[in-house]
Amino acid sequence: MTTRPIPVPPKGAEVKWHLSPPYSARHLLWLVLIVALLLVTGQRTDMDRMVAMTTQAVGNLIGVADDSQVVRGLSRVGTAMWPPVIGEVEEVNRMGDLDRDRLPLFSYIEVQERVEQRMNLETLQLEATTEQVEVLVKPLGYVWTVFVKMIETLEIALWGTLLSVVLSIPLAYFAARNYSANRFTYTAARGFISLLRSVPELIVALFLVLAYGFGPIAGVLALGLHAAGFLGKFYAEDIENADKKPQEALEAIGAGKIKTLWYGVLPQVLPQYIAYTAYIMDRNLRMATVVGLVGAGGIGQELKGRFDMFQYGHVMTILIAIFVFVFLLDQLQARIRARLI
Amino acid sequence: MIRFESLNKVWPDGTHAIRDVSLEVPRGQFCVILGPSGAGKSTLLRAVNGLMQPSSGRVVIDGTELSVKTQSALRRRVAMVHQHFNLTNRMSVAANVLAGLLPTVSTMRAMSGWFRPEHRQKACELLAQVGLSPAHLKRRAGDLSGGQQQRVGIARAFMLDPEVVLADEPVASLDPKISSDILSLIRDAARERNATVLCSLHQVELAREFGDRIVGMRDGQVVFDGSPEAFTDECVESLYHGAVWDDAQPEEDDADSSVDLSTTNVSLI
Repeated sequence: MTTRPIPVPPKGAEVKWHLSPPYSARHLLWLVLIVALLLVTGQRTDMDRMVAMTTQAVGNLIGVADDSQVVRGLSRVGTAMWPPVIGEVEEVNRMGDLDRDRLPLFSYIEVQERVEQRMNLETLQLEATTEQVEVLVKPLGYVWTVFVKMIETLEIALWGTLLSVVLSIPLAYFAARNYSANRFTYTAARGFISLLRSVPELIVALFLVLAYGFGPIAGVLALGLHAAGFLGKFYAEDIENADKKPQEALEAIGAGKIKTLWYGVLPQVLPQYIAYTAYIMDRNLRMATVVGLVGAGGIGQELKGRFDMFQYGHVMTILIAIFVFVFLLDQLQARIRARLI
Repeated sequence: MIRFESLNKVWPDGTHAIRDVSLEVPRGQFCVILGPSGAGKSTLLRAVNGLMQPSSGRVVIDGTELSVKTQSALRRRVAMVHQHFNLTNRMSVAANVLAGLLPTVSTMRAMSGWFRPEHRQKACELLAQVGLSPAHLKRRAGDLSGGQQQRVGIARAFMLDPEVVLADEPVASLDPKISSDILSLIRDAARERNATVLCSLHQVELAREFGDRIVGMRDGQVVFDGSPEAFTDECVESLYHGAVWDDAQPEEDDADSSVDLSTTNVSLI
């Protein structure tokens, strides 16, 4: 059997190859350009002032600098926010439908004395009058209000996520190059996905509040539409990058596109899909707290109201609640993911 | 019967994968295609179910020419066993076998996974015939060993009782003992249904053992066509002659090998 070997140079022959060093003068030039660009943009965004103010704040804290604008501002907000508001007190007179035999859980009626300055119309002088006011005290009242609002926020996030999944599945099918019917549907789907993704939730919510009015509808739609842009892109890219082998096997027997997708692609990409959807759920919970700021329901609306009334104690309670909810959801997701994958 | 009529395939990069191949494979034959890497074996097989569109020439299966119109109907009658098994790894063995039915079931039924009882029964019978146990049904296909995966692939291929089975190097990544078992399974299942088998292989010994007929290919051409008895050691030598060099430097060797081939052609056929 005549075989020709793989060609190698004869022994002792000089190998005339050249391996250049990894960096050259051109790289240095690029480095200088990038640093210059960073300096210009840093100056435009006041980064120099940021460094100066932060240094001053640190100096003030360790007792070197006398005064710091940053520390003053922060401590003012900090003292205003502490302690977080937990209870709620309501005047019974103002509650028309209070059933005294069946008070809400943990609450009780208390008589408080109030001193009020009133003008005596005859003498035209201010007189202090003491008044007995019956009030309903709910020791955990505000925490409960925030909890209910937080559940509403969670529901907005959940329905936003469901909506985005339902919207993005057909979008992903048409935005996957190897499954889209033709170039036109592909471009249209990709364009639509980019459009959805390019407008931030807050801005979408702003317009949807005009269309649907205040409340959760605008929030759900805003979150769902924006997240559909995300999921559509990620789902489509996973379909495109999925292992081709099972798809080829099903194509070879003529299974058809949708059935091939269902049996050859979906089981393979499911772990990623779950991961993306979990991320979107997490993101939607955070964004659901924000879209309330423009009136789209949830805890954000409460936050905005309290903030505008300078009730920073209430704001603190809300911020703690948001943190606790995001943290708990994180733990829950980690467990669900561990079980599913 | 499968008939290749002066089939040619030129890839967009100019590689001539198949050069003027004409073959007739009668119904029920186990036809082994042998040849070095890059000889065009896979490409030839793929012409039968339209995974590869030939540049010229045609493929006729039982009097029906393969074309865009007839392709989907023909594909149901042509099964394929793949070198890398091509199972959906994260799906259960049972679902992988039932996927062999997909062209004949409705989309709703396929998506819900609610297959008819007789179809589920058939999947079980086929899995039993390839030597798997009920314990394998619910396991993920990707968790099985290579030999077991290929057996699932065979069960899937026979779900629609094909008339033609294309086996594209079905045992290339398996050890000799399992290779022999796998080829027996394909041969026996095909015989039971009088199905034609086109099987590309690398192992000369297996080709001699299982083939009713051996077709030798080199550089896209058929250079040997005959019974296993006629496929002597000399034929093996000339078939694989210079294969190592071809892999390393194809362009430089092109002219060289075509000269070689013309002489081997004469001596073989």
